[in-house]
Amino acid sequence: MIPPLPRILLGAFLSVVMLVGATGTYIFLGTKASHVAAPPKKPTVSTPRAQAFTLPGTLYVAQDGAIYSLRVGRFHQITPEAGWMMPALTRDGNLVAVRQFHMYSDIYLLSPYGKVIRRITNNAAPQRNPDPGANHWSFYPRISADGKTLWMAYDKPKAGYDVVMSIWAMPLTGTIQQGKLWTNAADYTGGDVQPLPVRGGLIYTKYDYGPNDRLVGRLWFTNRAYSAGRALTTTSEDCRSPAVSPSGTQIAMICTYEKQISYLVIASWNGTTLGPRKQIITNQMVAQPTWAPDDSGIAYLAPAVSAGAFQLWFLPKAAYAPPVPPTPSPGAEPLPTPSPPAAVKPIQVTTDNGFDATSPMAWDS
Amino acid sequence: MLVLLAIVVSSVAGGLAYFLPAAQLAIESTGQVIDLPTPSPTQLLVSPTPGSPSPSAVTGAFTVLLLGSDDDSKFNPDHVLTQSMILVRVVPSKQQVTMLSIPRDLYVHFSTGGYGKIDGAYSYGGPGAAMATVAQDFGVHIDDYIWVGLLGLVKLIDAIGGIDVVTSHPVLDDYYPADIVSTWAYDYQRVAVLAGPQHLDGIHAMQYVRSRHGDLQSDFGRSQRQQQVLMAIRQKAKLLSPEDLPALSAAIGKEMKTSISIPEVAALLPLAASFDNPDQIRQIVLLPPYTHGGGPGGSVTANWGLILPLVHQYFP
Repeated sequence: MIPPLPRILLGAFLSVVMLVGATGTYIFLGTKASHVAAPPKKPTVSTPRAQAFTLPGTLYVAQDGAIYSLRVGRFHQITPEAGWMMPALTRDGNLVAVRQFHMYSDIYLLSPYGKVIRRITNNAAPQRNPDPGANHWSFYPRISADGKTLWMAYDKPKAGYDVVMSIWAMPLTGTIQQGKLWTNAADYTGGDVQPLPVRGGLIYTKYDYGPNDRLVGRLWFTNRAYSAGRALTTTSEDCRSPAVSPSGTQIAMICTYEKQISYLVIASWNGTTLGPRKQIITNQMVAQPTWAPDDSGIAYLAPAVSAGAFQLWFLPKAAYAPPVPPTPSPGAEPLPTPSPPAAVKPIQVTTDNGFDATSPMAWDS
Repeated sequence: MLVLLAIVVSSVAGGLAYFLPAAQLAIESTGQVIDLPTPSPTQLLVSPTPGSPSPSAVTGAFTVLLLGSDDDSKFNPDHVLTQSMILVRVVPSKQQVTMLSIPRDLYVHFSTGGYGKIDGAYSYGGPGAAMATVAQDFGVHIDDYIWVGLLGLVKLIDAIGGIDVVTSHPVLDDYYPADIVSTWAYDYQRVAVLAGPQHLDGIHAMQYVRSRHGDLQSDFGRSQRQQQVLMAIRQKAKLLSPEDLPALSAAIGKEMKTSISIPEVAALLPLAASFDNPDQIRQIVLLPPYTHGGGPGGSVTANWGLILPLVHQYFP
């Protein structure tokens, strides 16, 4: 028989033990959850990983409707989280970027620090027009080499339910009324997107039905407004997101081969045709290849883990263009046989962000 | 001894408290009794019929009918249409999955009697009628069904942190139903899901699989996208642990129902994770010549002479 006072103390002690045990178990189980739904961190909160490779110049990238600049290893948020995406460089160091609203999107001219200088397009329907179709989308802005022309994908013309984007060109300092339709998008395909002005013309992605009636992307080249142009890739390659190297002699692109995969592919470019393809990333869901302005490599977006959010990666040039061994001069001692070079792997720059993989990046020197 | 007992009891209580919401919802949503409607006279001419005891244990092959519905305020909750119907056959021994999308507008004979678009079968007799209609018209045995409401898919994808998909083309739609975001169920909104590899949240994944105005193949193109998203959900689900179930169940709520029992679900989870080879996953969409337009009331007419051999090949 336990005396009353110790019995009370024992009861209190056991109550505390049970409370701690139950709470501890509950919390422990919570910590064992996968946390797959944890939202990505803002780039300014999670700086690039320690000892991360510092990218040259300034890279502009979008996440959750905001544009960030990455310079000397630090991110800076240059716009609020308000639908901003798809930054592209102008010749004088400013940016053009898309701001997407609920029913339309517009292209803006921004300073390198994100200050709005001017709205370039005016795609909202008049307030008195209740038809959703009276609004327009503008995406993928790019500026010509001479800095005078704005290229973009614009959903005009459209008819009824068929909304397709076509490539348009307009003066950067002008209005959309001065714009000119450049491509003839196929009906009910999503259309023509991702204009890339190159010397002598324009490369863009055209979506169309392949021989097996599946919608696929192909790179096309044209040098004349509203001309058919010429396909650069095949339907079975299913390619998109072209990016030209600083020297203008190589094109990087994303090809899926009509599957739920994406390969980073590069090919030589002679101004009219693409050379043999070289798959340089084949084990990640890779998006938005962007050449370093100093030609030191290619940045891209890809998840760090299967089915994860997209992180920033950098592939050094040595991975896809190994240095050529020096040729011995006549009469010199023969060079020793070099050992095979170690494989150069991509460098993961960020770990816990969630960049917008549909938004091209811009990289300024 | 008393202390040890207290620790054990309290740990069990803590565990129960953690899993209780999930268990409660699982009990409500799983193991649903399939209420088979009375067969119409013509159904007697067709075999086989569903509802017979399942011949397949989890270790054997089994067939599940996936049903997706608009269940917003436009519809009576008990009489929704099934905009998405996908027949899935799993052969665990070969780690093989076959998905066959049934066009929502397919003109069929209902198990409850009469003819119409197959998306109406559920509205006339619930999941039992949908299963029976598919079973009698396609000549397959269906073991179970899973029904997901419109918001269920959105919440499920958000609860697992989004999915990674290579969207095949820009999906642009000026007249996409705004029934989720608008107070007026018949309102429209514009959507633009851009093309290429990307991480989709629930709303954008829903827009990608639900839009059909910008696709020449209309419902067929949508079926291909639905299968794509299903595969991406399966890929992400491999990262989940049992401790995620309470959060998942809280997110999905009552937007999901299935005839599969809790023990069967538990047995299926590791099985789903073991399917890693994309080449072992077959995706079938009944494009022409298997079907063609111009049926009564804007329906799609089946070419049963081609469909049935195909179905018998992959759903024996």
